Amino acid sequence: MEQKKKTGTTYLNPYLGGFCFGLVLLATFVITGRGMGASGAVKSTVVEAVSTVAPAHAEKSAYYSKFLSDNAHPMNTWLVFESIGILAGAFLSGLLFNRLKFKVEHSPKITSKRRLIFALAGGALFGIGSQLAKGCTSGAALSGMAVLSLGGFITMMAIFGTAFVFAWVFKKNWI
Amino acid sequence: MGVIPESWNNVFAVLLGMGFGFVLEGSGFSSSRKIIGTFFGYDFVVLKVFFTAAITAMIGLLYLSHIGWLDFSLLYIHPTYLASAIIGGIVMGMGFAMGGYCPGTSFCGIAIGKIDALLFVAGLFIGVLIFSEAFPLLEKLYNSGNLGHKLVSDSLGISKSLFAFLLTVVAIGMFFGATWLERKVKKVEY
Amino acid sequence: MDRRYTILALIAIILAAGLLIIPDKGKTKEMEPEKLLSAVNDQARFITTDAVTERIIGGDPTLQLIDVRPADQFNKFALPGAISIPLDSILSQTWQDVLQQPGKDKVFYSNGDVEADAAWQLCTRAGTRKVFVMKGGLNYWYNTIIKGAEPSNTASSEDLDQYSFRQAAKLYFTGGSPAEERRTYINEDAPEPAKVKVNVVKKAPAKSSGGGC
Repeated sequence: MEQKKKTGTTYLNPYLGGFCFGLVLLATFVITGRGMGASGAVKSTVVEAVSTVAPAHAEKSAYYSKFLSDNAHPMNTWLVFESIGILAGAFLSGLLFNRLKFKVEHSPKITSKRRLIFALAGGALFGIGSQLAKGCTSGAALSGMAVLSLGGFITMMAIFGTAFVFAWVFKKNWI
Repeated sequence: MGVIPESWNNVFAVLLGMGFGFVLEGSGFSSSRKIIGTFFGYDFVVLKVFFTAAITAMIGLLYLSHIGWLDFSLLYIHPTYLASAIIGGIVMGMGFAMGGYCPGTSFCGIAIGKIDALLFVAGLFIGVLIFSEAFPLLEKLYNSGNLGHKLVSDSLGISKSLFAFLLTVVAIGMFFGATWLERKVKKVEY
Repeated sequence: MDRRYTILALIAIILAAGLLIIPDKGKTKEMEPEKLLSAVNDQARFITTDAVTERIIGGDPTLQLIDVRPADQFNKFALPGAISIPLDSILSQTWQDVLQQPGKDKVFYSNGDVEADAAWQLCTRAGTRKVFVMKGGLNYWYNTIIKGAEPSNTASSEDLDQYSFRQAAKLYFTGGSPAEERRTYINEDAPEPAKVKVNVVKKAPAKSSGGGC
């Protein structure tokens, strides 16, 4: 008897997905000598935006000036292109597995509005944290771990440990 | 590493990013409730994908280094700034628990139309802006505890290969544990 | 389902274990840039053509001349006792035994001294000890020893000694044909030039030669 899935969608086997992800990461290291990243693209965009809107301020600032033209590291643009690729690849996958749909994903126990507020706040915190740690889960944690970086492991443990605690604090939002 | 001519770099960036995005979305990382499942025990996909990817890449890099195809010393090792790594990680963890995303997965979420992912990314921009403006206050923390490009295997005093082996064993142990736990935990509709 | 995962898990563990067994060819110990820089500035790596000549004549066993020019040039002419290791293969596995010999001073030479110096830099960075560069190379050696420009009237006594030494060395290298006119320089004002004596100083093998290794 054929079992038909009424709801739910097909996902890749996580180990297969992880393995392929690892291969992509490996290829990135071999080709560029550096790992991947995502928060870097956001940072580059912010720096560019600020320097366009308020160039004098950007140059004076201790933080923006690090990433502006003369000191610009080619990796900054690389990450932006990579992020475009992420969007494209994810879109393809969503298309393939029929997951394309505009929606606000939230636990039935809360409203959409609450979910959106938390998403925004969570993003802001993550933005701050990723700058402090100079990377996010992809850049610092994952890529860092792949090259056995001590900082990578520390950041990974800090993120997941803290997330574990706070997930239970905000349990109502999720389950 | 200069294997490819400069002009191709960005092309590869897009291609590699597409691989990243495809695999991530395909594994379900575009869904915040699925991602958060690791912390409640109903879906350990994050654990499985993350650690499988880490050990695959790690073992791959070490093999390439051992046979001489790759010079490990030329790889970029994420530098260790002790205090900011920990505190940054904690702040990110909070953001993760509240938003259910990280930057990479939020991009995946946006790509398939998740509005909450969009708000998360908006938050990211705001967060980066806040940090940049507040940098003078945070500068000291940002730069503190610089141990350089330190390897975890060096801190433990073991070889890279031994560490990779041990991590593989630990990861596999976690996978079996996760599978066992998933069966025991109450099912959640998401 | 479970059995498949168990097999995959075992494969992963075996792969990881393989890392421990396969020898690590990636480990090349390199000298730190600062040390290399100070060694380069040190100049202690240079050996004069005269010093080399002296050691050749004296049959100094601790001298190992290495010709870094292309093989065909080596075959046309080379200094006595030199072996040929062309510059582009200086770091290859084949020559490691020769280059790592502890008791010998490895002196690189080329036509000028640029290639020899390059060889020195490569080897020093890779950690090879007791490597030197013959200053001026074959060209200078040839010009001073074989061609041997006569010193001027106002030359100092060191210059005179040097000239005499070189002339004697020339005889050694060219076989001293009877037709060769042996010209001694006579300077009325200067004291009688001492009889040419090629001093063979057997250098102790453990001579420390700086170089900042």
